[in-house]
Amino acid sequence: MFTTSLHKMLASVCLAALPAFALIEPETEGMDAVTRDDGTFLVGSPTYVFDRENGAGGIHSESELWTPEKLRMRLLFNRLSETPSWTPHEPSLWLRTGNELGDMIYQDPLYSKEDRPSNRTPILEGGFRSSAFMGLWATARLFQVDHYSDESMRTRNVQVDGSFAWFGENWPMFSTAYGGLGYTGHGVEASVLAGEEYMWEFGESSRWIPVHYSPRVEARVDVQDLSLSLAYENAEYQNKRKSESGTRTEWNGSAYYRCGKLCKDGMLWFGAGVQFRTVEDEGTVYTGLEDDLVVWPFAQIRFAPVAQVTLDAMLGVNNRDWLLQDSIEYKTDPMPRLGLILGEKNVAGTRLNPIADTEEYFDGDTISLAADGSMQMHELYVRVEDSLSVFRLGARVAGWLEYGAETFDTTGFVEDKVLTYRYGDVGRIHEWIQGLSGEVWLGIDYGKMFSFTALGGYEHIWGPSREFEVSPVEYYAAFEGDWLLNGTFRIAHSLRYRSDARWNLRSQNPMVVKGDWYWDATFEQRFPKYGLFLTGTLLHVLSDDAIQAPNGSYDRLRFVCTVRKTF
Amino acid sequence: MDFVKALSKTLAVALLSFACSLAAESPAQDTVAKTPSDVAFSHVAVSIQGGEIYPWGDLMDAVENSLFVGMGLRYSYWENFDGILHFDYTYFKSRIKEVPYPGVHQAMGRLGLDWHGRLISPVMVGGGFICNWSRADEGDERDFDQPGGTLVDNETEFGYFVHLNVPFLKYERLRIGFDMLWEELWTLPERSNMLSAGFYAEWRLW
Repeated sequence: MFTTSLHKMLASVCLAALPAFALIEPETEGMDAVTRDDGTFLVGSPTYVFDRENGAGGIHSESELWTPEKLRMRLLFNRLSETPSWTPHEPSLWLRTGNELGDMIYQDPLYSKEDRPSNRTPILEGGFRSSAFMGLWATARLFQVDHYSDESMRTRNVQVDGSFAWFGENWPMFSTAYGGLGYTGHGVEASVLAGEEYMWEFGESSRWIPVHYSPRVEARVDVQDLSLSLAYENAEYQNKRKSESGTRTEWNGSAYYRCGKLCKDGMLWFGAGVQFRTVEDEGTVYTGLEDDLVVWPFAQIRFAPVAQVTLDAMLGVNNRDWLLQDSIEYKTDPMPRLGLILGEKNVAGTRLNPIADTEEYFDGDTISLAADGSMQMHELYVRVEDSLSVFRLGARVAGWLEYGAETFDTTGFVEDKVLTYRYGDVGRIHEWIQGLSGEVWLGIDYGKMFSFTALGGYEHIWGPSREFEVSPVEYYAAFEGDWLLNGTFRIAHSLRYRSDARWNLRSQNPMVVKGDWYWDATFEQRFPKYGLFLTGTLLHVLSDDAIQAPNGSYDRLRFVCTVRKTF
Repeated sequence: MDFVKALSKTLAVALLSFACSLAAESPAQDTVAKTPSDVAFSHVAVSIQGGEIYPWGDLMDAVENSLFVGMGLRYSYWENFDGILHFDYTYFKSRIKEVPYPGVHQAMGRLGLDWHGRLISPVMVGGGFICNWSRADEGDERDFDQPGGTLVDNETEFGYFVHLNVPFLKYERLRIGFDMLWEELWTLPERSNMLSAGFYAEWRLW
């Protein structure tokens, strides 16, 4: 019964998401950027992504901005990421493997060494979470994504001892294993996981920093409307080439209360919490946290004086930083089947991510990761969607202004084999930047069996674009389709084009990521009665092999397959 | 010319099997179930199989034809479709002297669907995805720069296959047939194609 209800729940979640994007499964949680082009989604590695949706407002990417929803994400240097995920899966057993297509196999002896294509790399994953017994369950997971690893491999492998991964010799950008116990019942969801993890984090200097978490332990408890997290990390740093090594012992965690049933039907909703990190560094480490401590209290409020109007605000303040995010939204249905949303949102603060480290140490230079002053961003947006029979027609338009946008003041570059590093500090753009964006879409939905969306978007930004870390994509088009045949065979596909994007500040000459077509497809055999799912996904079929971020590795056509049995 | 002979034999066996199959019964479904969910796994069969693999195109210069053995699983999926899962093993001997090993171990996994509609039953046609794992029989990382040297480490590649399954003998739960399969692996610099042909014995569990 549980399996059936779980499946229904998952299916409803999936179907609810149908009109927006095809349900393509990327390599692992948090790598959704590889399946999106409705904006600027550039993947340097599984641990470094520039992810900015069209019309998001401001020139930063989403992973740079702290929000209360990201309390349990991983902090990778100064960005927040779902990858590698330490969130326990639903009760199930799963295996996943894949490969960048293009190993030579028997083609190898037919070609000279010079004509060999570079090595292609796989992904591997296996894990389980047991059914609950008296509420208790166990879980374990081993996973790594070797994709996006080969271009920088020869520079990275000399920095570390051994293969720096659980298996293989591709020096993957992360390799993680953990296991633990949990409890579900009586309104409590709790888990304790312990594991070991190899990771390469991308610094503001543009260098890859190897971190070996041994061990990493994370505990989570959700009781009613209260969520608690606590993690212990013993992070080992090394640079074998320079005979450097060091250790960071870190405790971090959060407590978050959201007003639940009490506020559900009322006009007032509120939440509050605190996040903290405390570190103790020994030897040579490559980042620093001022006072070895950050405590970040925050509060949220939502006020809905009438059903159509919602005001949201979040404010976080501590001794170093403050961050305010607020919005007002008016939703109405001026005509039957016609939905209209008018809104205004603001982001202002001294730092987009106030829980991150404050300094990076690189080659004798101290890079300040916290700029003086503050930023502010204001955005007006309108969204309208009309539905007629099986058709949906919609549009959204947004205009925004930003002052004090975070950027990087580069003072110099240094070459390391094929990689380029930079000196400087995180800084600000003391000018108003303005953006105007729009998107239109046409959708067709036929029950649960078929959903198709064609969409196109455009954004133009006025401002000193050469000072942006990334000049975003200007336009894109996408054709997304999902079929569910006989309720048991799912096909999802996504054909997209996006225009050029440009990295301005991480190399002597700006790096242009050329526009391209991408096609992804997922095929899935489903056996709901048995909780069995067999999934195969092709990613980036049409696109040219290209490096999407400075010091990143090639984005290639790849295939990923998964077998999952839910309990 | 070995290949041409082998292909001729394969086609001859295929035609003979096809003729025999007209007398064989439809394999997986003999009742009509109510919903796709009820049909799924309402029949399951396990099999053993063996045959020969023929490299195609440029690959004929790289490796010899080889024998394969394996096992399989067949399950009802929809009324006229079966799901199939195969695991096969083969050993390819190298044709090129400079290659620093005598041969390559190859394991093959396939997942796909077979259609056995009324028009062609009991013959089945199908296709799906394939995953091959290869590793040289000898050699170590010092041979990496030699011809074929990438195979001294594990290499994995995906691709697709299409096949024709011709059952020609059925006795109670046992079914024997002929299977001809075309596969393309997504290798570089060129795609790799192979044809295989073999026989199988399948035992229906339920």
